[in-house]
Amino acid sequence: MQEKWQTLLVREALIDAVRLFFKSNSFHEVETPLLVECADPEPSIEPFSTSLIQASDSYRGYLTTSPEFSMKKLLARGSGNIFQICKSFRNAEPVSSRHNPEFTILEWYRVNANYKDIMADCENLFRFIAGYLEERELFVPIKCDLQSSWERISVSEAFQKYAGIDETTLHDQEKFKFRAVEKGYQVESQTTFQEVFDQILVNEIEPELGKSTPSILYDYLAPQAALAKKKSSDPRYAERFEFYINGIELGNAFSELTDSKEQLARFEAQNKVRHSEGRPEMKIDMDLVNSLDNLNQELGGIAVGVDRLVMLFSGIEDIRETLAFSARDVFSLDE
Amino acid sequence: MATIKAGSIRKGMYILFKNAPYLVTKTDFLSPGKGSALMRVKLKSVISSGTTDFSFKSNETVEEVDVSSMQMQYLYLDGDELVFMNSSTFEQLSVPIDLVGEQHKLLIEEQQIYVLMYDEKPIGVRLPDKMKLKVALAEDADGGNTVGQARKTVELETGLKILAPLFVRTGDTLIIDVATMSYISRG
Repeated sequence: MQEKWQTLLVREALIDAVRLFFKSNSFHEVETPLLVECADPEPSIEPFSTSLIQASDSYRGYLTTSPEFSMKKLLARGSGNIFQICKSFRNAEPVSSRHNPEFTILEWYRVNANYKDIMADCENLFRFIAGYLEERELFVPIKCDLQSSWERISVSEAFQKYAGIDETTLHDQEKFKFRAVEKGYQVESQTTFQEVFDQILVNEIEPELGKSTPSILYDYLAPQAALAKKKSSDPRYAERFEFYINGIELGNAFSELTDSKEQLARFEAQNKVRHSEGRPEMKIDMDLVNSLDNLNQELGGIAVGVDRLVMLFSGIEDIRETLAFSARDVFSLDE
Repeated sequence: MATIKAGSIRKGMYILFKNAPYLVTKTDFLSPGKGSALMRVKLKSVISSGTTDFSFKSNETVEEVDVSSMQMQYLYLDGDELVFMNSSTFEQLSVPIDLVGEQHKLLIEEQQIYVLMYDEKPIGVRLPDKMKLKVALAEDADGGNTVGQARKTVELETGLKILAPLFVRTGDTLIIDVATMSYISRG
C-alpha cells in the first residue's frame, strides 16, 4: 500500500498541475457527457454499450471512448480554448501493462491553431508538470531530457531512418508488404497494410523514440488521418502527431478536420468497415457533423493518457500500479 | 509442434522464433494508434539464453514447440556446467549454468530434478517452487534491542548464503522460496 499510495499522491499532484497549467494559459475547463447516444464509429475502438430507460422506453447508449465529439460541439458554439480531464472507456482490449478498460484522458483544443501549436503546448505542459512535482519532492528523474527542444521526426523520415523503408515504398502498399516479407514478417493475403505498418512501427521505430529527448512523430499517412485534416502542401499526409517518451506513446494530436462533408464521408466509411466485419454500425452524430460548419477557424487538439503520464512521472512500468483499483482488482479476470 | 495464433501466446510457453526455440517470459497486448492488435512478447533463447522482444500481429500464426522433461539426478558442478545422470541408463548430460540462472545454487548433489529437453538437447531445468535445504553454518546471534524482524546470514549445505531469523541453528532444515532464493520457514 505504501508504494501505491505514493503513486496516488503523484497522480493527485499531476492533475493539479495540469489544471493550473491550462487555467493560467486562459483555457476553460469543461465537463461533457460520458453517456451518449452516438459513439465514435472508429472501427478499431469498441465502446461499452448500455441503455437509458425512460418509463417503458429504452434507448441504446454508449460510454464515451473520448470526450472529443462533445468538446468540438462546444468549440463550434464559441467556447474558445478548452480542456477536460475525464474518464473514458474502451471495451474488448485485453487488460495489459498499458491498457485498462476505464482510463483517465486529458484533451485540450486550441482555436486559431494547428498541430504545431499543440506540439509547443506539449513541451510547455511537460516542463510545467516536472517543475510542479519537483517542488513537492514527488518528481522521479526521467531518463529523457524534458527541458531541451523535443525531437520532431516525420513518419516517412522515421521509416527511412530506423526501418530502411523509403518514401516511395511507404506509399505503395504492395511494395511495402513485399519489403516486410523480406524483413521476415508474416504477411498473408488477408493481412492489411495498416497491420504491417503498425508491426514495423512497434518493432523497429518505437524503441528508438523518446530516448534522449521526447520525440514527436508527425505527418501520418492520409488513410491514418482519423479526425485530422489532410496536409494542404502534400495531401498524401495528414496533420496528425503522436509523441513518445522512453518508447511509450503518450498522446495523439491533430489539426482537426472541420469540413463537415469530409467528416460525414469518413464516418460512413468507418461504418462500412464495421458492417463488413459483422459488427453493428453506429448512429452518426449529426449534431457534431453539422456543428463543424460553424467552426470557421483552424483548430488544434490532442488526447493524452493521464494514467500513462502518472507511469512516466513515477517511474512505473505497469499502468495498474497507477490506479487505485485496476480492472484486475474489480473483476475476477483470467490471467 | 502445434500451430497457434500469436494472440494466444502465454507466459511459460516455448515457441519457434526465427527458426529457434524460445521461452516466453512475458506477454503484453498492444493496440498502437488506429487498428491493429499486436502481442508483444519477451523471449529467452533456450540455446544462447539471450533475450529479445518482438511484437506479433495477434492473428498471425506461431509454432509452439514441444519441450519434454526427464527426471535426472544432479551430480556436481563442473566449471560452468551442471552435470546430471539418468538413474536408469547411467547416461550423463551437462546443462550450462546460464540456462538455469542463480537458482543453480540451490541444487543438492544426488537430488532428483527434471531436465528440460528440446531436439534431444538440454535447455534448462524445472525446479519446484519451494526447496528444503539444511543449514551448514549458523552462528549464534542475539537480537539485542532490535525491534521487528532481525535477520542474520546463514550458510546452506550447497554453500549459498541467505538471510534467516535469529533462532535458526546449524543443522536445521529450511524451506526456501526458489524464485526469490529466500527463507520461508523452518522445515
